[in-house]
Amino acid sequence: MTTEPRHPHLLKMTDPPTMVGHRCITCERVAFPPDPYGCENCGSPASTFEQWDLEARGSVQAVATVHRHHRSTPVTPFTVGVIGLVGGPVVKAIVEGVGVAVGSTVEGFLAHDEPDNEGNVVVDLRFRVVE
Amino acid sequence: MNAPNLLSARPVFVVGIGLHQYQRRSDATYVSLGLTAVRAALVDAGIEWADVEAAYTGTALLGMGASRIMLSRLGATGIPMTQVENASASGSSSVAQACLEVASGRSDVVVALGVDKPRGGLGAAPGNAGINNLEGGSVVPFTHFALLASEYMNLHEVSDKQVAKVAVKNHRNGSHNPFAQRQKIRTLDEILTEPISGSLTRLQCCPVGEGAAAVIIASEDGINRLQIDRSRAMQVVASATKTEGLYGDGVGIDAALTAETGGAAFEEAGLGPADLDVLEVHDAFAIEELLYAEALGLCQPGEAASRIESGDFDIGGSCAFSPSGGLLAMGHPIGPTGVGQIAEVVRQLRGEAGVRQQSDARVGMAHMVGIGAVCVVHILRKP
Ligand SMILES: [Zn+2]
Repeated sequence: MTTEPRHPHLLKMTDPPTMVGHRCITCERVAFPPDPYGCENCGSPASTFEQWDLEARGSVQAVATVHRHHRSTPVTPFTVGVIGLVGGPVVKAIVEGVGVAVGSTVEGFLAHDEPDNEGNVVVDLRFRVVE
Repeated sequence: MNAPNLLSARPVFVVGIGLHQYQRRSDATYVSLGLTAVRAALVDAGIEWADVEAAYTGTALLGMGASRIMLSRLGATGIPMTQVENASASGSSSVAQACLEVASGRSDVVVALGVDKPRGGLGAAPGNAGINNLEGGSVVPFTHFALLASEYMNLHEVSDKQVAKVAVKNHRNGSHNPFAQRQKIRTLDEILTEPISGSLTRLQCCPVGEGAAAVIIASEDGINRLQIDRSRAMQVVASATKTEGLYGDGVGIDAALTAETGGAAFEEAGLGPADLDVLEVHDAFAIEELLYAEALGLCQPGEAASRIESGDFDIGGSCAFSPSGGLLAMGHPIGPTGVGQIAEVVRQLRGEAGVRQQSDARVGMAHMVGIGAVCVVHILRKP
């Protein structure tokens, strides 16, 4: 039995969880997700990047509730937000709970999927509104 | 470097257009779809297949080597044939390549076609780039645009009903287009049913079916030699392609890319937004028409919804937006879409659009964006 994040290289399982991006040492651009190839701003190779922790906290810039989806998960309806992180990058992520609106402050948490047959649990970063 | 303006050094014209109706996936092979469009374009131009010196086929879904098995059934003349893939802009890029080939002087008569049949999923390469994102598969294109709609509506205090009026207009236009996949007039209430994502409903999302479109591009020399009807030849005065730059966090990529590409096209043509009489845009989702109207400078930021409501972007308004029905009603079979836009603009500039005719149309634009992101813009003018 283990508990694993779905994308281990994107997350540190702290409480609250920490998002892992990159910072280009050459031009100081911070980006999320971390890129394995190179910097879109200055062209430096990814070997010159440093890992860059980002607080999973930000404000909602746009929101949409999805009613039709081509896969069985996430179960519809679910809500996706565009979130401007306090650390700079803008991400899209699932936002759970009621009262999500443009301007809401949200923070990350680890949502648990159903355990598989061996009892292994996969967790995913999602956001919820900060009261 | 400053590229020479090939399109003014050696002018190029669209001299023939042909389409196969856009429709739901059927038993028809892509070969029969494509041949229908090319044969119609040859008849429209009044030329023979043997007069065509090269072919570019815009397709994203058919797999490799699509052209020759199809076009050799018009006669295996041995001409160069090349498939062009540029996501949703594949057809637009086949037109761009054909224009470049004629403008360069290499050929006088070239066909650009688009043909596709849908298959499960789009098979887009970026998903295999090894860059895992947080949202995984939860943000598909309609949600990407639903989020842009959310941002736009919040910023400009525009309602979901106002955005939906784009779809009312484009379904009405499509009802008069025999090549459109959707040919029904829809009320605002009908448009607002069946939510898909955010404020976007089924009828505010384009259908992805099958079809084909072809245009024949010719030089003055080709027109003279083949005695093509000059009065029906419409000049391509700009062909611009760009890919996404870095616009800063939170900036709408599609609109920013459209502003850059449209600006480059206007500069090449020596024209501006006020000169446009007809405009076919990538309205795969209703919100896009509002974003691109503003990005292309047809109105101020936040003004597009009220311009739609006033009828200014109707056929008969100051600029007819998506008179074909656009992607929302005519449909978006991927490869054909950008070529079909050129066909509609040519039909409008010729004055042959029937009940869809924008009166005295002299300048038209065709605009596509695609996964990447890429953007391709053409401007055509009645000589
Ligand atoms: Zn850099």
